[in-house]
Amino acid sequence: MMSRFNHLPTLKIDTSDKIPFTYRGKTYYGTKGDTVATALYANGVRIYARSLKYHRPRGLYSMDGECSNTMMEINGTPNVRTETTLLKPGMVIKEQNVKGSAKNDMLGFLDKMDWAMPAGFYYDTMHKPAKIWPVAMKQIRKAAGIGKLSPDHHMPGKYDEIYPTCDVCVIGGGPAGMKAALAAAEKGLRVILIENRPWLGGHFDYRTTEYVNRQTHHDRAVQLAKEVENTDNIRVFTHTANVGTYNNNLITGFQVGTEKDSFTERYIEIRANSVVVATGCIERPLLFENNERPGVMQAGCALRLANTYGLLPGKTGVFSIGHDLGLEAAVALHDLGMTIPMIADIRQDGQDPSLVKALADRKIPLQRGWVAIEVHGKKQVQKVTLKSVDGAVGKTVDCDVLVASAGFTPLTGPLVVNQAKQKYDPHTNFFLPTDLPRKMHAAGRLLGFENSRTIEASGHLAGIQAAYDCESCSIADLGEAKKAMESLPGPARGTKLVMAPVKGRKTFICFDEDTSIKNIKQSIDKGFDVPELIKRFSGAGLGPGQAGIPGHNLPLFTARYQALPDIKIRPTTVRPPLVPTLIATYAGTNHTMLKRTPIDDLQRKDGGIFRNIGVWQRARYFSRDFTAKKEIENVRNNVGMLDGSTLGKFRIHGPDALNALQRVYVSDLSKIKEGRVKYTAMCNDDGCVIDDGVVIKLGENDYYFSTSTGRAGQTIEWIRYHTRYDNWDFSLVNLTDAMGVINLSGPNARKVLEKVVDIDVSNEGFGFSEYKEFLVADTIPVKAMRLGFVGELSYELHVSASYMKALWLMLWEAGKEFKIQNFGVEAQNVLRMEKCHVILGQESEQRTNLLDIGMGFLWARKKTGYKTVGVAALAQAQQDNTRLKLVGFKMENNGRAPRDGALIVDDRIRGHVCTARNSFSLNEAVGMALVEGDMSQVGTRLAFYEDECNGELIYGTVVETPFYDPSGQRMKM
Amino acid sequence: MKDIKRYSPVEFKVTPLKIENRDHWDVVLEYHNEGDGPWLVDLCHRPRLDLQTGHLNVKKPFGITIPAIPGQSVLEKGFLINRMNRIQSSIYHLGGDAVEIPNETEYTDVTEATVFLAIIGAPVFAICEKLSSLDFRDKTRETPFLLQGPFSHVPCQIVTLSRDGEKSGMVLTCSRGYAKDMVDAIVHAGEEFGLKPAGEKRFSDWIDSL
Repeated sequence: MMSRFNHLPTLKIDTSDKIPFTYRGKTYYGTKGDTVATALYANGVRIYARSLKYHRPRGLYSMDGECSNTMMEINGTPNVRTETTLLKPGMVIKEQNVKGSAKNDMLGFLDKMDWAMPAGFYYDTMHKPAKIWPVAMKQIRKAAGIGKLSPDHHMPGKYDEIYPTCDVCVIGGGPAGMKAALAAAEKGLRVILIENRPWLGGHFDYRTTEYVNRQTHHDRAVQLAKEVENTDNIRVFTHTANVGTYNNNLITGFQVGTEKDSFTERYIEIRANSVVVATGCIERPLLFENNERPGVMQAGCALRLANTYGLLPGKTGVFSIGHDLGLEAAVALHDLGMTIPMIADIRQDGQDPSLVKALADRKIPLQRGWVAIEVHGKKQVQKVTLKSVDGAVGKTVDCDVLVASAGFTPLTGPLVVNQAKQKYDPHTNFFLPTDLPRKMHAAGRLLGFENSRTIEASGHLAGIQAAYDCESCSIADLGEAKKAMESLPGPARGTKLVMAPVKGRKTFICFDEDTSIKNIKQSIDKGFDVPELIKRFSGAGLGPGQAGIPGHNLPLFTARYQALPDIKIRPTTVRPPLVPTLIATYAGTNHTMLKRTPIDDLQRKDGGIFRNIGVWQRARYFSRDFTAKKEIENVRNNVGMLDGSTLGKFRIHGPDALNALQRVYVSDLSKIKEGRVKYTAMCNDDGCVIDDGVVIKLGENDYYFSTSTGRAGQTIEWIRYHTRYDNWDFSLVNLTDAMGVINLSGPNARKVLEKVVDIDVSNEGFGFSEYKEFLVADTIPVKAMRLGFVGELSYELHVSASYMKALWLMLWEAGKEFKIQNFGVEAQNVLRMEKCHVILGQESEQRTNLLDIGMGFLWARKKTGYKTVGVAALAQAQQDNTRLKLVGFKMENNGRAPRDGALIVDDRIRGHVCTARNSFSLNEAVGMALVEGDMSQVGTRLAFYEDECNGELIYGTVVETPFYDPSGQRMKM
Repeated sequence: MKDIKRYSPVEFKVTPLKIENRDHWDVVLEYHNEGDGPWLVDLCHRPRLDLQTGHLNVKKPFGITIPAIPGQSVLEKGFLINRMNRIQSSIYHLGGDAVEIPNETEYTDVTEATVFLAIIGAPVFAICEKLSSLDFRDKTRETPFLLQGPFSHVPCQIVTLSRDGEKSGMVLTCSRGYAKDMVDAIVHAGEEFGLKPAGEKRFSDWIDSL
């Protein structure tokens, strides 16, 4: 294990606290605060994985998970970004995409096969002849890929979610973000600050150079972080990645939990009035041969490895950089013990004089206008060849680390995904964000600022702008903040795209997809001349790094290769998620939210087998016999009870209650008599039937009505919508959950009921279609209806939900002598199908109107003046003989019933089966189907086509309906 | 009749310590080991009314003036009255003895239509934040105030009664059928904060303290 610094003020590790983990079957130790990547680095690991296509060795590069180089399998989960994943005790870490080991990968030879795999090679080569493709695809998929996931992999951990609201959300906890948060908070606003790393500070945090007045950048970061943390109205989420930003300032992200948290990761959805994006910059990779060889790393990576994690990146480091952070890193790493034989700076001038002096003081040679052109070393950096930018002179230097960085790329993702534009700025060499969405502001380094005070001032300004959005500060405050900015240095001059002349065969612009400069040239030569097309043809930017590495190099190189006079080319479109996010994190806690009836527990105790039906859980069967034979026979011969509580139930009252009902129901409800039940239906504007139920008059301008289970949630809105211009005075109350419903059915139903109630329930005392209200045992208020949905003597008892269980148990007790049993939704379905009573949604679909299903008798054609919804369409449709018609059918030769949904065919599709079952009551298979009008005549032969029937059709015949008890005597007995 | 019982849709997996029979409900006044808060209280037995009319401004349920602006609530004489919209107001009877429900047709007893819960204690908003994007901490709203929207994906009425540290709390109603899953979701969300079921006494003491 490497020795580690433990004296630096910037360290985030505790070397005294060792953490064991397993790597390649052996136990190693990291320290508290390590990421998985730094723990492996500390243990001498330099090759973390192999690349997607060529199986090239890959190592630590950015420290921020910008590419797939260091993705590994951890505890069975592939593609974990080890650079940003904190080490935990007992982690089992494996290399991925290797055959053998990352160090000795048997598929490493593929690196030499690049000639056979030019850009888009699979489009060109593997489709002709077409039969090659399935074979080739299999082999390619075997060799390529980054990690494997078992389909039954269970994601370990606990995933949570929160939905906070704030006035101002600041994305980025660096100096600009912290200043923005403080400025907004000072105005009394609720601020949320999210930061990707586990701590605040951004690029100040790991730097020991002077900020102002001998205060280091690190100390300044600590000072600001304390201010932020001590401000009550700033809520800080660290280790929280921003995943997306959406209109109306909805910000999404996820937070990685610490050992103190109750979650492994939690999804965060923030609603903010105003947003500040201060996400800073990442480094723009330098392009040269073997620019991703383990040992090549960015300046920030090398510096953070030392200052944050206490690890010297190597013994001898050569630098090929294009900005002052590179020089700063060289000074710092030299002081920590690294030998630096040479710094190649792309820039001819513009270096910070104090840094140049610091290099000179340490006798570190600085070559201006030089750049790395090739790294040597099969698996790790051994030496590097550097040349002057014009290629005139050069030299090769031995080293084990090459710090390489061309410049910076602003992290504009949060702005761009929310529809901001990007425009090339020749001064900063950035694609700067323009046309920012309303109430969204940018600050800090992503605008090209390098001066520390300017960065902070821009953050302060953005915070004030956000406060202004929230109407919490004056225009004068805004002017003052702008003025403060103007007195400070503006954006720094950026480094142009510079690369020494190389063939580009192994110069990678995208590490994730093994896309080289040569591949980009090949794409452009084939006519794919803009980044969006190149991306799709070459794969550049399609990997899990979300285009972090190719980022702005791709458009810059594309412009250069085509010698475009003006860089109008834009970077490729960025889409959420901005960073890879676990599906488990998106799923969150995923609470099941379903409704249960008041006797749900009784039904479960009685062996009910439940299914989700819309928002409800309902008992569909009461045995494993899914034909529900016993339940059906018991209702036909004895008595059964069904829990029908899911029916929609409503009260409508007020002077215009009847008008409202007349508007939506096709029947004439002015004729309802008190004590009677009126069955009716609703249609939509097309006359298509959407709901049915019963209406009862409770009193003057006061009605109680039921709807189907599925429509209950929409009924109030439906009625309000269709009466919205009438200014009618009526009130609607949803009582669906307030009332339980017991359906007591069967020839012995009366005998059971009369044992429980005190009223006359004889056929004369309580006839068919009648309604009564009474108390059971002087206590339980019941609304009772004589109905016959299942075709037998039936009582529908509506009872207050809290009393439902009591009444159910009383009926159960009373029914024991008559062999009372539960029956479920499936039994009800068969019973009513035998009677040809429809269930809307089953015997109808979106295009089915009232007439199609034979319910035209409900339509009161003489009712006028109410503009009843759908009747104009019905009037037209009644002349149309081409529409589908609902028919009943029986199967030929005592054959089995076709499946629900089976097609009815001749030389084309002529209809479909709605419901069909083998009827135990009739001893034959029967069903209902929607068929074209000319097939609806009794005696028409129907041919049924079922899924996977291999062309073997079954046959039935259209018959008269209903099948069971056609005279209706049984339900009126 | 003595034997007839009314059942709440809420069932906590803890043992009741004190129970009172009230209008056929078994009302749990206290549970074993209620802890120091936060608490979740089942109030399903407390009467709730829907008042709906185009002339809401002239109505004075139980002598209380209905707030004029939708979203505003008022807590008076043990009644919480919430203005829902132009024509509708919900009324919760939170404290005191049983009340006579007004005989006018504009009132509908909706006690049975919803599950009625209270969440009390300092971390109440941290718990709710895990289940809803509704802004309970909005400083522009004065308590008590009504929010109508999704809570654990289910449409709810939620009235924030206090945002005063330990006294913080809210009452929530949603369709009765969701009772089990709603309670499970709240209990799960409150686990990390030590949320425990509590009896009606805890709720009554809290209401009295407001």
